[in-house]
Amino acid sequence: MSRKIIHLITANRVWRSIFRYGYPDTEENRSKVIFQTFFLHIHPVKVKTHTLKPTYTFGLGVIAFYLFAVLTITGVLLMFFYVPSVQRAYTDIQALETAVPFGMLMRNVHRWGAHLMVLFVFLHMMRVFYTGGYKYPRELNWVIGVLLWVFTLLLSFTGYLLPWDQLSFWAITVGTNIAGAAPVIGEEARTLLLGAKEVGQDALLRFYVLHVMLLPLVATVFILIHFWRIRKDGGISSPAEQNLPVP
Amino acid sequence: MELVKGTSPMVDKGPEDTVTAWPHLLLMEILAVLGVTLLLLAMGIFINAPLRELANPDVTENPAKAPWYFLNLQEMLLHMHPSLAGVIVPGAIIVLLMMVPYLDRNKADIGIWFASPKGRRLALIALIYTPPILLGLIFFNEYVVVRSIISQPELIPSWLIPLGVIGFFTGALLFIFRSFKPTFREVLVGLFTAFVVTYFITTIVSTVFRGYGMHLTWPWELPPGALTF
Repeated sequence: MSRKIIHLITANRVWRSIFRYGYPDTEENRSKVIFQTFFLHIHPVKVKTHTLKPTYTFGLGVIAFYLFAVLTITGVLLMFFYVPSVQRAYTDIQALETAVPFGMLMRNVHRWGAHLMVLFVFLHMMRVFYTGGYKYPRELNWVIGVLLWVFTLLLSFTGYLLPWDQLSFWAITVGTNIAGAAPVIGEEARTLLLGAKEVGQDALLRFYVLHVMLLPLVATVFILIHFWRIRKDGGISSPAEQNLPVP
Repeated sequence: MELVKGTSPMVDKGPEDTVTAWPHLLLMEILAVLGVTLLLLAMGIFINAPLRELANPDVTENPAKAPWYFLNLQEMLLHMHPSLAGVIVPGAIIVLLMMVPYLDRNKADIGIWFASPKGRRLALIALIYTPPILLGLIFFNEYVVVRSIISQPELIPSWLIPLGVIGFFTGALLFIFRSFKPTFREVLVGLFTAFVVTYFITTIVSTVFRGYGMHLTWPWELPPGALTF
């Protein structure tokens, strides 16, 4: 009976157009499940056993990316209920917490996910440093990774202002004062960021646009290059490369 | 599979050092994702994100703190010129981090945690060396106060002393490292450890140990609203 049902679901053109191979429990299908799908862009068909040791990577990169994905999804959902205006922002958050189904949960997951991402991106960077993962040929990917750490901090910082409560207002005031301490261009940089001399409506709009549009786009492009380079550089680092010549 | 001449460890080795990405790698990734999902859902259900009173430019918060991940910078701000603490030091750290792979070109220890037993030892030394010095400096500037000893000209307490202190203690650490005759990579492992420890300690001190007027206090005596999570 169950065989018949499975046959009914899988033996048709629609199913076959999506899955061009059988269930991946044979070597052939296990290679096809990667080779003939989008996943070839992320993973090779075969990986070195060393890279699978949990104590080598601790899965930190995957976790950091997954948090980014969760933040994108919850962030888009939150955008439906939020207007970046000083008249509405705060009451929108209050309404989100009290009147929107699962609104509180959505906001909580977005908030704690952001903090966890800041943490896990740094832990990922520590792992790569301590295992020498930045070495040839992965120099550029290390540089991109350092930039992604900076983007992560900026994404979190720009989102921090959006609830428009005392916590966010003064945190962003202090934070942008630190940026304003830059020699020569400090004051100009701060004004560019805030759109005014003080944190107000202009700053809220700028931080909103940076947070939901510009920074996510830039981060996404860098993440894609980051992943693409991992594939190009022969997967993640392993001791098997110790004897490879460095040009 | 192609056999090539060369010194690659893969020469003359079949694909037995490899396994298929499905299921071996992808299942582990799915497990990591499920674990994080559970953690996030638990946090989201049990801990509510903070929402304080409506923003009011006329009511200054005390202490006024940046988000927790920038409190390492705000901690430095208490001890040196704002340009140094807020821009030059963090900028230098980012540039130095990006330069690392172009300075360290040796692949002899790739894929080994902390490079070698000696690298592990240097990391351990940095881990033990940094906290007492850092906390000592923080306590000194809190209870003795550099500016009470010398405040003029401004250049001395805000630039020369902080830079001198950073230079001296980094140099002293390098001097200790030297007696181990380490490789360049092992020195980098030690220095990076000192950075990580400094980064974590300044963040933690400024987040949960600084209250009114950014003065040192105990976490259980923090004023309401001093936690910027």
